Amino acid sequence: MIEPVLQTSGLRIGYRNGGKTPKVIADQLNLQLNAGEFVCLVGPNGVGKSTLLRTVTGLQPKLGGEILMSGKKLETYQPRELAGQVSVVLTSPISVGAMRVDELTAMGRFPFTGLFDRMSEHDWEVVHETLRVVGVEKLSHRYVHTLSDGERQKVMIARALAQEPRLLILDEPTAYLDLPGRVVVMNLLHDLASGHDKAVLTSTHDLDLALRHADRIWLMDDVGRIIQGAPEDLVLNGSFAQTFNRAGVRFDPLSGTFDSQNSGSKSVFLEGVGPEVVWTRRALHRAGFAVDEEWIPGSPRVCVMPQNDVITWQVELVGQTITFTTVYDLLQSLPK
Amino acid sequence: MKQTLKSPTSQQTKRLWLFGLFLLLILALFLLSLALGSVSIPLKDIWGVLIGREGVRESWVYIVQNSRLPRVLTAVLAGIALSASGLQMQTMFRNPLADPFILGINSGASLGVAIAILGSSFVGGLFLPAMSLGGEFSLVLAASLGAGLVLALILLVGRWVQNPTTLLILGLMFGHATSAVVSLLVYFSAPERIQAYSIWSFGSFSGVNWTQLNVMALVILAGVGLMALLPKGLNALLLGEDYARTMGLNVGLLRFIVLLSASVLSGAVTAFCGPIGFIGVAVPHIARNLFKTSNHKILIPAIILIGAAVSMAASLIAQLPGSQLVLPINVVTSLFGAPFVVWVVLKRKRGATSFNV
Repeated sequence: MIEPVLQTSGLRIGYRNGGKTPKVIADQLNLQLNAGEFVCLVGPNGVGKSTLLRTVTGLQPKLGGEILMSGKKLETYQPRELAGQVSVVLTSPISVGAMRVDELTAMGRFPFTGLFDRMSEHDWEVVHETLRVVGVEKLSHRYVHTLSDGERQKVMIARALAQEPRLLILDEPTAYLDLPGRVVVMNLLHDLASGHDKAVLTSTHDLDLALRHADRIWLMDDVGRIIQGAPEDLVLNGSFAQTFNRAGVRFDPLSGTFDSQNSGSKSVFLEGVGPEVVWTRRALHRAGFAVDEEWIPGSPRVCVMPQNDVITWQVELVGQTITFTTVYDLLQSLPK
Repeated sequence: MKQTLKSPTSQQTKRLWLFGLFLLLILALFLLSLALGSVSIPLKDIWGVLIGREGVRESWVYIVQNSRLPRVLTAVLAGIALSASGLQMQTMFRNPLADPFILGINSGASLGVAIAILGSSFVGGLFLPAMSLGGEFSLVLAASLGAGLVLALILLVGRWVQNPTTLLILGLMFGHATSAVVSLLVYFSAPERIQAYSIWSFGSFSGVNWTQLNVMALVILAGVGLMALLPKGLNALLLGEDYARTMGLNVGLLRFIVLLSASVLSGAVTAFCGPIGFIGVAVPHIARNLFKTSNHKILIPAIILIGAAVSMAASLIAQLPGSQLVLPINVVTSLFGAPFVVWVVLKRKRGATSFNV
């Protein structure tokens, strides 16, 4: 059996406040992370995801239990030795200017260089290879403060990789990025795990992306329990819905997204196929209609008809049929 | 392939030129500082004095050896020390406006001096005889004691307080508290003593004799030597203490050395020259702007050169060459330094010079 990169048993995390009773955030955590595996840590705001990440990285002391890094107790590592095992990308953007991308990435070699940070040929080779893997080698002479948020995040990942860790830990790496940027980063993280045999652990609020990209999900709920499993398992056994369902919000296992739960009393019958129907259904949901599978006499009947490049919506309402060319006009015509 | 990863050669060449330029500037300022003043001395005679040639006018030999040479060396040392201290504070607190005195070193020194000069009216002649005995040196002693006390306090508190911002606020609050005590002393003191205290607080490179200069040089050399061990650690701190820790650095030790070096450097300057503003905050910015880098491997030598040059220039201007008048050094540094800091703050594009704060 392969030894996990990270393993916790009976781990208790939280904060010590001035020696009094420590504030426990989560207890009895038995987690396991293997090489080549991309794990997303998800959970509602404020459940302690960052605390868990900081604890297993050694940035914050644990309150109890055990953390094994490559089979060895975390607290027995020398700082430098640990830096060769695990590297991080933290949430808050760094605030450094007048530093080039290659200089920043080269900082990942700190655990391997001496007091005066003399870089060997090999060190520069690793830096170069890392920039290439992350796909930012063209930026290597740019100054970090001139990069876009997405580019900067990739460079931070490159810096972490240059440390040649077995485990890469990221705290909400997609927080400041636009949607395409998020997809790119999640793809990259998945590739680093599957293609480069790293263990990758990231916290994220992008549930949709986590469900698509993660090999496994650690689902943390607000009482500090963590449920592990493949994303699909957690969706199908209802854990996902249970953790995130709150008043007014509902996890829809069919679409894998969260819907607002304000489907009203009025109902509409919708027919048609393709993406046009999906988006029309969303619009109707938003407007407060329950979309029926069967037509109930008396309720409006909406028919989506994509023809060539033109989409038209036909609405049958109390005997008369009207045709619309935009969803906006369609919604305006329906009875409130 | 590797070639493209290291600094582009054009940038390296430019930096070499800059270093050369500053070395020349320092040499020029050094000679000018010896030549200009209330009396002008020809450069060839300056050279004569320096190499100990016979036949130079005796009054000139005296002026150069006992007044101008110690003054310019003091200026060089103070400039280096303040810049080095300022750079370390700016990096550690990741704040572009941090200066050598941000942790209250100068407040401690001021308090020491205030007690020595002003407090003697209360303790009735306890300090007075000592002052007349030791002369100027007792002020140095009082300032050193005050600065040393704050230094010890900072190192002690620095061990317990993990958050740099908390440390910063504590330093600020300590400064306010001491200035209140100083105000109280001033309020109850005789006018001539108040004047003596204000003169100290204006700062001066002139009062340092050769013996004191030796002590000052030794202390500052030690402080700069400590900093010379830190380029890697300071670079890591640019990303924040958490990153530094995950890169395998001993952040506690690093922080201790930074605090020790920065405090010793600013303490030494304040003790011998009084509180001198703006050099410490301005020089690191000039270095980052000119050399276009935050890398301390380049910044440390850069601020040593620029600090020495700026300080000598300020000292030269303060002498108002050709007149009998001498300006307080703080007047010069503040007059030129304040607009400069305003410029830095206004010009700062998204972190273009140093930090995105």
